[in-house]
Amino acid sequence: MALLCGSTSVKFPSSSAKSSISCPKNGSAKSSFVGFQVALSKSCSWTSLAANSRRNFQVRSQDLSVVPLDERWMFEESEVNGPDIWNKTWYPKAADHVNTDKPWYIVDATDKILGRLASTIAIHIRGKNLATYTPSVDMGAFVIVVNADKVAVSGKKRTQKLYRRHSGRPGGMKVETFAQLQQRIPERIIEHAVRGMLPKGRLGRKLFNHLKVYKGSDHPHEAQKPTELPIRDKRIQMTR
Amino acid sequence: MNKDKIFKLAKGFRGRAKNCIRIARERVEKALQYSYRDRRNKKRDMRSLWIQRINAGTRLHGVNYGNFMHGLMKENIQLNRKVLSEISMHEPHSFKALVDISRTAFPGNKSSVVPPRKEGLSIVL
Repeated sequence: MALLCGSTSVKFPSSSAKSSISCPKNGSAKSSFVGFQVALSKSCSWTSLAANSRRNFQVRSQDLSVVPLDERWMFEESEVNGPDIWNKTWYPKAADHVNTDKPWYIVDATDKILGRLASTIAIHIRGKNLATYTPSVDMGAFVIVVNADKVAVSGKKRTQKLYRRHSGRPGGMKVETFAQLQQRIPERIIEHAVRGMLPKGRLGRKLFNHLKVYKGSDHPHEAQKPTELPIRDKRIQMTR
Repeated sequence: MNKDKIFKLAKGFRGRAKNCIRIARERVEKALQYSYRDRRNKKRDMRSLWIQRINAGTRLHGVNYGNFMHGLMKENIQLNRKVLSEISMHEPHSFKALVDISRTAFPGNKSSVVPPRKEGLSIVL
């Protein structure tokens, strides 16, 4: 039975100092989520928060009363009272960002404005929507984009937006328009947009692999049970 | 500083900077300068990280960081950003209570002017 000593000792002062809305803690809390009820059926809206704050706070604290007085100096503060979660800024351990436990999101790109869609995707891949965001660690989710060939742009960008690449040799600049690239390789449009919005560096390149773009409407990731990507931007849908 | 002290500080450096005294001396001096500067930068970076985490936590509840802090200031809740970010991660129900307090104290600038939609020349013609 895991004793959540680190959190229970500070739970009461925190809840009494502020309002009393925090849910009462049962002694038989077998959940490994800190600060959560086992009976999540009471507050189903917190499941998304629960998934984000999944940390194994299995604190085996030493009971100092059984230790003889002249040996008490051997035990550290963290062994006795549990890890200090209030004075040290939390940093994720390896178990907090296992790839197999990350959520998968799916979004249909049909008639969505390219930049706004890419921005939302990049935020979710990077993990900036989570309270556990850490810039040096990959805490984000996986995103699947389907119907990538139907993504929309406003104005005359369909014929005027240019995609350039250079082969490295003199005179090796290749230019093509949005429409031409959409004919040739439609996935590249969304990949190019999202890559520009992810951080550039080792971590950014690893994050980019969490984006999966497909031309049609089917994708091979049914086993990951992707959920709908929550979009808060009201102007993302192209209105004709 | 004599060479032994320099090499002790140069552990883990790349290439000749950990082995050869001329290069190691330069790199160690630079490393000490960086560590001096970064002891001050760390305080800034930590606060920025707390603010980003609080922002993410409040946006889950539909409030952005600026309005949230303004509401807390109005209610004279003097919790600092470090503690607020830890609360948003470890005690989400308490954090929601704080967000509700802030929302009642400062609901946000609903009356901000919406810029008029640009219609184009079709109106004039």
